[in-house]
Amino acid sequence: MTDFEVDDEVVTVAGLRKSYGDRVVVDGLDLAVRTGEIVGLIGANGAGKTTTVECIQGLRRPDAGTLRVFGMDPMTQGVRVRRLLGSQLQDASLPDRLRVAEAVDLFDEARFGDGADLLEEFGLAARRRSPFAALSGGERQRLFLVLALLNRPRLVILDELTQGLDPAGRRDVWAAVQRLRRSGRSVLLVTHELQEAQVLCDRVIVMGAGRVLDVGTPTELVARHGGHITIRFSLPDSNPAPSSLDQVQGVHEVIVDRATITINGDRECIVHVGAALAAQGLFPADLTVDSPDLEQAVLRMLVDAEPVAGDLVVTTC
Amino acid sequence: MLSGATGRLVRTELTLMKREPVTLTFVFAFPVITMLIIGGSFGTEPDIAFDGINPSHWYVASYLTVVIAATGLIMVPVHLASYRERGVLRRFALAGFPRWSFAIAQFVTGSVAVAASSLLLLAVAAPVYGIPTPTGWLPLLAALAFGTVAFVSIGVLLGMTLPSARAAQAVGLLLFFPSFLLGAGGPPPHVMGSTLRGIAHVLPLTWLTDAVRGPWLGLGTASGSLALTAVTALAASLAALRRSRV
Repeated sequence: MTDFEVDDEVVTVAGLRKSYGDRVVVDGLDLAVRTGEIVGLIGANGAGKTTTVECIQGLRRPDAGTLRVFGMDPMTQGVRVRRLLGSQLQDASLPDRLRVAEAVDLFDEARFGDGADLLEEFGLAARRRSPFAALSGGERQRLFLVLALLNRPRLVILDELTQGLDPAGRRDVWAAVQRLRRSGRSVLLVTHELQEAQVLCDRVIVMGAGRVLDVGTPTELVARHGGHITIRFSLPDSNPAPSSLDQVQGVHEVIVDRATITINGDRECIVHVGAALAAQGLFPADLTVDSPDLEQAVLRMLVDAEPVAGDLVVTTC
Repeated sequence: MLSGATGRLVRTELTLMKREPVTLTFVFAFPVITMLIIGGSFGTEPDIAFDGINPSHWYVASYLTVVIAATGLIMVPVHLASYRERGVLRRFALAGFPRWSFAIAQFVTGSVAVAASSLLLLAVAAPVYGIPTPTGWLPLLAALAFGTVAFVSIGVLLGMTLPSARAAQAVGLLLFFPSFLLGAGGPPPHVMGSTLRGIAHVLPLTWLTDAVRGPWLGLGTASGSLALTAVTALAASLAALRRSRV
């Protein structure tokens, strides 16, 4: 991670609040997206992610709070802001009979002439004359990504980017997003795919009930909320149970069930347990380590924050 | 000429119009086919039931307004509601297209559809029934212009208000067919009962059809109907633009 100065901030949101009738959807939210970073916005359904993004895009007027995109107010300077934004939306579509090349021409506001290259890059060059209705789900998502990138935006907002893509297509799109970062562009990634967030994001913002529950790198969030790692191995009956494992640094609990030994502890205990076993001449071939991942960390955060966390649709890739 | 985002949107919409089956069916095929059938049903001799006019000519003149009504009550609302329902308008808005540009695009597309379908209708009618020479060009063209603005604006209003393409189609058909039968393409007013005539008199399509038939077929300027059509055009276009604002 790079240390960024304040003026590196592409998006700054402070105290954002938005209600629909009596229902508060975003409740005093703060967040920042800096130049050249990929920020993930994740949370349960109804957590306020889409409303937050729509406020950033200038599509919804906040009830309160400060919101700046490239230093501009998206509500009063929406046209200028949207020229710097590229948006791929989860629930938007194109006319069924609009052909791929026609869509590129329609959305090519800046006329940089990148359309053909982008279609090639995203594997759609052969589909130039295909109507939108004839594209597969993955092709549609890739077309939306092409359209989002046409005008060389400085901030790209991607909402459920890889929904409907097969594993190979997902990897291709992930690689494209990583190229965006390398080109210095910022990405705000709204996703339910926690593996995607773990792989792509420099920072992850976890939202619950309209508020930010925590912000950090995926590693930091896993360390703070993921819970213990679990080491399991077994020893032949002839081997004596290893002694004093519960005294090893970072170990919280040792469970011996006949020949199977389970150890729960901090991440750092993996090395120390390994060293302790080796010191006793024990080299179990079936040793496994279960490490918590972002999915477990986020689920735990949401469960701790509110009882409706089960709404989160977690998809493992 | 329109330029920039709105120009691109208009060009795209004109391209898509040619591929849209609802448009091809209701705006191009339906008026021509029904005009041929109805126009040939009452003969070509002047008839008292048709204000002493050749019935075929009566229907040729009437069916230009059917084209306008089909465009405004079916093509535009279904198309626009489908865009709203599927998030197409949202995607366009995010790409920098002002929301009012959809209304402009629909208006231009609707007007082009009316013009193209009217030409087709006249081209088909000419060798079959002949086309009467208008006696008052100015009020006729004014009526067609006001009528197009009125009905396309009503279409934009419906499309921007109704929640789905299916709802727009249902409401559009419900408005279109009674208007069509009582106000333009159905039996002449003289053979209708008083109740139906009373209903027909309050239909915008009846006003428009009267304003077209009058100066075309030498039945007078129909200035009252023209004025009502103009007022409808003004009210509907203001309401449509208001509904189309971001």
